[in-house]
Amino acid sequence: MTNETVSLDNLRANQPRFSGLTSGHRACLGCGQALAARLVLEAAGPDVMIANATGCLEIFTTPWPESAWRVPWLHSLFENTGAVAAGMEAALKAQGKSTRVLAFGGDGGTFDIGFQALSGMLERGHEVLYVCFDNEAYMNTGIQRSSSTPHAAATTTSPAGRARMGKRHLKKDILSIIAAHHIPYAATASVAYPADVRKKVRRALALPGPSFLLVHSPCPLGWGHEGALSIEVARLAVETGLFPLVELERGSVVGVLPLREPKPVTEYLKLQGRFAHLFADDPRAREELAHLQALADANIERYGLRATAGGLDTESADTVRRGGGQWA
Amino acid sequence: MGVIVTPGGFALPGTATAFKTGTWRIERPTHVHGVAPCHGACLAGEDPQAWIDRLARGDAEEAWRILVAANPLPASTGRVCPHPCESACNRGGYDQALNIHGLERFLGDAALARDWAYPVTSPPPDAPRVAIVGAGPAGLSCAWQLLRRGIQPVLLEALNQAGGIPRTAIPPYRLPRAVLDGEITRLLATGIECRFHERLGRDFSLEELEAEYAAVFLAVGTQKSRPFSVEGAVPRDLHYGLDLLRHWLAEGAVPAWDEVAIIGGGNTAVDVARILRRAGVRAVHLITHERIPARDVPEHERMRAAPDEIAQAVEEGVIIHENRMVRRLILRGERVVGVELVHARKLREGERLRLHAFEGTESVLKVEQVIPAIGQVVDEAGLEKLLGQREFLRIDEEGRLAAGSRLFAGGDCRPGLGTVAGAIADGARAAAAIARLLGRAEAASARGPVVGPSRLNLHYFDHAPRQEASVVPVAQRHGDREVQEGLEAAAAAAEAARCFSCGNCMACDNCFTLCPDNAVLKTVTPAADGSHYVFDYDYCKGCGLCAHECPVGYITMVAEE
Amino acid sequence: MRQPLEGSQAIARAVVAARAQVVAAYPITPQTHIVEHIARMVADGAASCELVSVESEFSAASVVLGAAMAGSRAYTATASQGLLLMGEVLYNIAGLRVPLVMTVANRALSAPLSIWNDQQDSMAMRDAGWVQLYCSDNQEAVDTTIQAFRIAETLEVPVMVCVDGFTLTHTLEAIELPEQEVVDRFLPPYRFARALDPLHPKTFGTLVGPEYYAEMRELHHRALLAALEVIPRVDEEWAAATGRASGGLLRMEGDSEARTGVLTLGSIFGTLADAREVYADCRPLRLVHLRCFRPFPAAALRAAAAGLERLVVLERAISPGAGGIVTAEVRAALAELDRPPQVHGFAVGLGGRDVPLDLLPRLLASLPPRPGPFRIFDLDVQKLPEGGS
Repeated sequence: MTNETVSLDNLRANQPRFSGLTSGHRACLGCGQALAARLVLEAAGPDVMIANATGCLEIFTTPWPESAWRVPWLHSLFENTGAVAAGMEAALKAQGKSTRVLAFGGDGGTFDIGFQALSGMLERGHEVLYVCFDNEAYMNTGIQRSSSTPHAAATTTSPAGRARMGKRHLKKDILSIIAAHHIPYAATASVAYPADVRKKVRRALALPGPSFLLVHSPCPLGWGHEGALSIEVARLAVETGLFPLVELERGSVVGVLPLREPKPVTEYLKLQGRFAHLFADDPRAREELAHLQALADANIERYGLRATAGGLDTESADTVRRGGGQWA
Repeated sequence: MGVIVTPGGFALPGTATAFKTGTWRIERPTHVHGVAPCHGACLAGEDPQAWIDRLARGDAEEAWRILVAANPLPASTGRVCPHPCESACNRGGYDQALNIHGLERFLGDAALARDWAYPVTSPPPDAPRVAIVGAGPAGLSCAWQLLRRGIQPVLLEALNQAGGIPRTAIPPYRLPRAVLDGEITRLLATGIECRFHERLGRDFSLEELEAEYAAVFLAVGTQKSRPFSVEGAVPRDLHYGLDLLRHWLAEGAVPAWDEVAIIGGGNTAVDVARILRRAGVRAVHLITHERIPARDVPEHERMRAAPDEIAQAVEEGVIIHENRMVRRLILRGERVVGVELVHARKLREGERLRLHAFEGTESVLKVEQVIPAIGQVVDEAGLEKLLGQREFLRIDEEGRLAAGSRLFAGGDCRPGLGTVAGAIADGARAAAAIARLLGRAEAASARGPVVGPSRLNLHYFDHAPRQEASVVPVAQRHGDREVQEGLEAAAAAAEAARCFSCGNCMACDNCFTLCPDNAVLKTVTPAADGSHYVFDYDYCKGCGLCAHECPVGYITMVAEE
Repeated sequence: MRQPLEGSQAIARAVVAARAQVVAAYPITPQTHIVEHIARMVADGAASCELVSVESEFSAASVVLGAAMAGSRAYTATASQGLLLMGEVLYNIAGLRVPLVMTVANRALSAPLSIWNDQQDSMAMRDAGWVQLYCSDNQEAVDTTIQAFRIAETLEVPVMVCVDGFTLTHTLEAIELPEQEVVDRFLPPYRFARALDPLHPKTFGTLVGPEYYAEMRELHHRALLAALEVIPRVDEEWAAATGRASGGLLRMEGDSEARTGVLTLGSIFGTLADAREVYADCRPLRLVHLRCFRPFPAAALRAAAAGLERLVVLERAISPGAGGIVTAEVRAALAELDRPPQVHGFAVGLGGRDVPLDLLPRLLASLPPRPGPFRIFDLDVQKLPEGGS
């Protein structure tokens, strides 16, 4: 041990990982999206430029004259991130430069209003990594439902009440739609498995052509839980099968993070205020719980999530190592 | 303010750091060194979590140095300690407790094999001198701890070799002589003065010591067997178990008996039973009012011997009679030809436990010898005034014999002990008190709460089986051959990796990785509090994610003032 | 060397000569030929740009925004519905102060649906913060397109080059295409100081609070006002290099002693010029082609109106419920004169209705003593129902 005192500024400037997103941003306590953006940039490195959609991430990182970004970053509008990123990529290609283009958007800007631009970008084969931070609603504008909001979740535009049990419709199966574009690489990831997020970013960037990453990012305010529980909630989403972690290449599933012992969906739902109405003594609530369990079971079956021997599963993927994980 | 607008409203990179989001906090994360349960339970006061951490990082020598700071004889204790640390280990409730005992032995053996230097320098010639009577574990430990504080210890040993009970009463198949000799020789070579054939009462007196030395530590052990009689009857050729052991260890021989009964349930009784079997005694019975330790056996009914030793004794053919006491000796003349046994148990009567014999359960066991191993007491030679009529020396919580005196005591000679590890702890405690007495400031070691399993986040640990070294099969247990083998280096490393690191940072990077605000910074060299991370309170919003996801319970959220 | 070229083809060649690195567009009549010609040139190796065939107009504008921000000269073209669809992006591009050039092949707006030429589309975008330049013939379209890149990159504002759909885009003219060396000397390689650069990262598109928004917009406004000086200067430089001027902020033809003037934007200027030749009764007459509509060249207009007693504004757009768009701005600018001319405002040629040569004499003959309310001059009342709307 040394007696030398190192200033905090000095320490901040000498961290072992690349930090593309600094402190001082205005995200809520325990924000899953802030963490996810951090992890993605750690893996992608400084030689990037980002096209970012309107949304929480954009708003809480860029209150002029301040910016929390340390990489070149452009926010244009809500619906055009895929196209702006495509333009950046075309320019860099024309200039013969190797800088990588990342597109960041929330579920609203990706599943809904930005869907067309994303599809066009993928279809034309632009070499862009599109990362969708999925917090399952329009959070920045006050927790309104998007097509990514899970079935039966309560939002301000799909509240639970006497006549309704939260969102009527199912969560849009964006992965199947992306799969239908047959791009080289698409995957789902979760902030509860940070090493997996970074691995998938690196894998996506190593393959030519467009790639898509859906990162499940809990929103404590919108989902109704304490910020300290964000990782636990995200982990349970994976462990119940409600948010499967899969990898696709050219539309076919090539890898999954298997579940050693799937947990019942109630373990996940009971931690969140947006599902509180499902725990009332009400036959509709019980039916919805059963429905959600059936959806989880269907995911497990469809993606073959039951653990097979060997390799990492959800129990081993985040096992800690003394002295830190290996970090490339 | 002077902020000038830019075309298109662009902002410069990383300028958000001007905004200190730390002002949002209502509670802040703090590092709290919890006491790992192994540390809390260790009789010698070791912090196994600390040295296992170093071993897990591949630095065995540093691990050994941390270990010997508390206990200078790990190769020995790693063979004879009852390892309460393992019973307390949090991993026991998850899959299997850490093999701390095996790891301690591994380090002790490695130090012997590679002659690692004890981390201490000899005291200056003008250092104060302290006398220590008895070079057993308590005395050696006290000497070691005094040496570390720059005080010159002088050991006065009645026999011609140091070691105490481990030498005289623990058989080599449990504690090989090479190991014991090796460890003690290396320890004494650090600068501890040791004089042999110096017996208290015969060669020097307490008053002489008090006059010549700055302080005195009595580590005389219990050299006398507790007197044995059954209803007043004492056999003519009574051999106490301890004496038999000593004789066998010194001479290698025991009388040629055919069938004997040993009375007692401690390590001495079991050791005697096993050496008698090795010596060729056909039938060796062990009579104890206690029971062989098992899950359903309450604490107060268990034999005090180490469960492994009991199991190996049974494998070697020792016949254990549980819940029995000797009601009557069957004598012909003054020679024993048998004993009358009766069922007996200790029952709780309010605060106390009383031994009850149950009428109508008597049986007769034909034996030619009754060997009591029912405990030892202090030999009063030279200590008559201090001891009075008592069996043990009375001490206070510092190890002092009387308030204000410069006389200290510890080890078996004071009531309530009986383990090598406990003796080592006593020696260390007394050394600290002596150092304070001699004006050397001692850092107060305030301990936090013991970290229970609820403080851990077990999700981050995967299951892994406990590494065990093998035990020599019964058929190959000949003579002095050590019965319990030691862990190989790879197994030791694998076992050390299973440690949960309760209450102490294992540098897993979870907090550093998971903070959404980049408010946990990683340090190159460990921080002042021993961790590898620093909280950047300028930006920490107090969300508590780090505390919740810390696998080892090292981070606690406390309210902001 | 002059050669007969379709307007679209000529514009395409100009874009390629300007060395646009990224071109993105979505097909919409009557812009299609421009992009098709560029595609053909790329396919034949005559152009080396990245051609991105996007899936909508707002993506087209977004792609070129991204490309320009990433350090490449970029170009798009659209019309009518497409221009409106990319409307949000246009404001965004201008507010971000990104240099870009776009051709608008002026076309009427739905509803009712029309594919034919008027200028309602570009007029609808007059407040987006772009420079808007109108071309009266295809030679001007070529020259203005190249000048537009220079203007945009000098001022760091986007430039819209308006070209009447079908009338110009789909007609053949004898065009003098500038030599590549001339263009290269005139138009240095794209150098955008605020480009996205990992070595000098910056953050664009931030959230700006009430304390600073007005000042940001002021900067933008000033940049457009500065164009009033840059546009004529660039035109002069171009004229010096090629022998051809494109009309600066505005261009006058006709009789200096005239007391009556007609002002218009785009291709009908040529019709009016021809009609003035043919119909002697129309003379003396001053004709004004307003090349630059944004920024609005108030001072130049006042100078051009010196000595006029009447100025007729013929525009190919209407603001329903209000009337003239150009008319209102002209009137407001001229009101500052000591003796402003009467401003008569009319809409003509809406929805692609042909403007015949004899419109000019009929128009001049019908002018009332005082200007009446703004009206569609070539309205056929026979086609209107009794009363009602």
